[in-house]
Amino acid sequence: MTLLRYTIRRILQAIPVLIGISFITFVLVNALPGDPVAIMLEGQEVDQETIEAVERRYGLDRPFHERFVTYMLGLIQGDLGYSFHRDMPVSTLMWIRLGPTLLLVISAFVFALVTAVPLGVLAAKRRNEPTDHVSRIIALIGVSTPSFWIGIMLILIFAVWLGWLPSGRLVYPWRDPAHYGFDGRLELYYQTIRHLLLPMVALGTLQMATIMRIERSSMVESLQEEYVQLARAYGVPERTILRKHAFRSAQLPIITIVGLNLSTALGGAVLIETVFEINGMGRLLIQSIQQLDYQVVMGVTIVLATIFVIGVIITDISYAYVDPRVSYGDRD
Amino acid sequence: MSNETILEVDGLKTHFYTEQGVVRAVDGVSFDVREREIVGIVGESGAGKSVATTSILRLIEEPGQIVDGEITYRDLTIVGFEEQDDGTLTPREAMLSNREMRDQVRGNEIAIIFQDPMESLNPVYSVGHQVTEFIELNRELSGGDARQEAIDMLREVGIPEPENRFDDYPHEFSGGMRQRVLIAMALGCRPTLIIADEPTTALDVTVEGQILDLVKDLQTKYGTSFIWVTHDMGIVAEICDRVNVMYLGEIVEQGPVDDIFHDTKHPYTQKLLESIPRPDRTVTELDPIAGTMPSAINPPRACRFHTRCPDARVACTEVEPRFVAVGNDADGDGDEHEGEHNDHRTACIKYDDVGYWDSVPLEKVGDRDIQYVGDRS
Repeated sequence: MTLLRYTIRRILQAIPVLIGISFITFVLVNALPGDPVAIMLEGQEVDQETIEAVERRYGLDRPFHERFVTYMLGLIQGDLGYSFHRDMPVSTLMWIRLGPTLLLVISAFVFALVTAVPLGVLAAKRRNEPTDHVSRIIALIGVSTPSFWIGIMLILIFAVWLGWLPSGRLVYPWRDPAHYGFDGRLELYYQTIRHLLLPMVALGTLQMATIMRIERSSMVESLQEEYVQLARAYGVPERTILRKHAFRSAQLPIITIVGLNLSTALGGAVLIETVFEINGMGRLLIQSIQQLDYQVVMGVTIVLATIFVIGVIITDISYAYVDPRVSYGDRD
Repeated sequence: MSNETILEVDGLKTHFYTEQGVVRAVDGVSFDVREREIVGIVGESGAGKSVATTSILRLIEEPGQIVDGEITYRDLTIVGFEEQDDGTLTPREAMLSNREMRDQVRGNEIAIIFQDPMESLNPVYSVGHQVTEFIELNRELSGGDARQEAIDMLREVGIPEPENRFDDYPHEFSGGMRQRVLIAMALGCRPTLIIADEPTTALDVTVEGQILDLVKDLQTKYGTSFIWVTHDMGIVAEICDRVNVMYLGEIVEQGPVDDIFHDTKHPYTQKLLESIPRPDRTVTELDPIAGTMPSAINPPRACRFHTRCPDARVACTEVEPRFVAVGNDADGDGDEHEGEHNDHRTACIKYDDVGYWDSVPLEKVGDRDIQYVGDRS
């Protein structure tokens, strides 16, 4: 019950944060150089009247604060504006583009956690042994190599030289298999995984390396705790100590880092989507900035910020769930 | 006191191989524990008390290593070495494997209570879960029975409404309550021997008193033996039957508590007793032991206490003290008669016929004139 109340309160607290983010984004997008109307009408012979008519139509003739209030009122109703360039509502565009990005980011974190947690635990258990040294070198390389470069190398090796995996584009598991000409769901999923593998690894490597380093140091610390010593003194097998007694409390920093690294992962997705030609939010953002499609840039920024805020809330809730010492802030 | 001896530690040496050198944390320690008695190990911080007790459970971690000695628990060889032809020591075949230590000794025969109750419980599991887990592991009880036993033990150590506190987490308990939980954990496993490593040091004095009373009651009820590690002679007087005084990795005096207190032999024990406040005596200032304990990497040769000993003579820097019986062997024939015992021993050459009394007091010589002949090894 307290956990539910805590969750609700955290969600309510997110509202002013999102309003703040919207305001800052609105200011920044308006401060961008370039004239959207000029770009929209590029290549056409137009007179001053037409330009003014277009400005009126999109409300660009009104003062800044009025435009902001109008935008926010729309936002509350789920209206993110209209894409001049793509000639469709931004919210529709978001729905189409959000799926691929979430698929990519979530799979990258799954990949990172599934590999980094066991490796980190193993490195901590075999501290200062070869296993530890090797995994630490891998982590160091992972942390210091740019993800787009890893992406390019993966394409070069696995797509171009070996020809094992496709080099780009995604197959979406929620689509109808017939859309791609596949036999059924099973083949669709198989192809989804094949297509996802390289971008997932490219985006997930940094996360894997970061999580591995923290998992290792957190486990090393945890294994030296007195309660772990006590478990040993009571004849608990080393395996159980590693899996249970030392493990759970060591995961608290991991939860924090996954939540915070959601921002770097979303940022990384922009690059990875470009490298792998994935039509997600990131690629949309780059294209819209180039096209000065303001409403879309605004929309993408706000949606990504919202995802980040949701991620942080989930982090806080899981932290409170794992660590009983976290106070829910109730006064009782 | 004709109870059977359950634990025997003989010539135990536990060394730590650090970059600065070999730390001789425990360097030839012998003592035993009998059924149903509380044996104290007392000494300053760094004397090697905890290392000695941790060695009994063979929980010494790198870079530490048990290098010599025997530890026997009933008929089990916890530590045992045999000399090879080339003079090196190797573990005897009878020595328990790590697995056997885990399954046969740790928890079910010998349990431990650590110093800091704040750090000894896992913060992310409920108190009841932790007590139940250890009981289930060390006794043949099913989950439900182990849970009931845990509740009963928590009640036994004075946790009010244990059914309701069962699912609470450690941070919801006070320090004293947590230490009670740890005692419940230890006793719940029904061990024969419990090692209590300064279990009341982190608690305030009133709580300490309550815990000591509780332990005395439960010790009588369950007939458990205790090794009680402490630096506080007051606690020794209160609960111990016999005591071992440790200094810099060695035991300097051992014997029944009455003898140690009323017929103190070793100057170090003397100084320890003088440095505790006593309500029955009016003193304006306590008399602490001069200086700090020397490093265990390169300990003073011969008697290790000679650098701080008020009675030190030149002979103390030359002659390795042996353990000599100083018990109230009333008729001096070396045998135990009624009312006599030879349990009281000390390692001070004052009580050994090796020339202490003919030697010059150390303070008259001055440090520079002492000839050190090589290093002790």
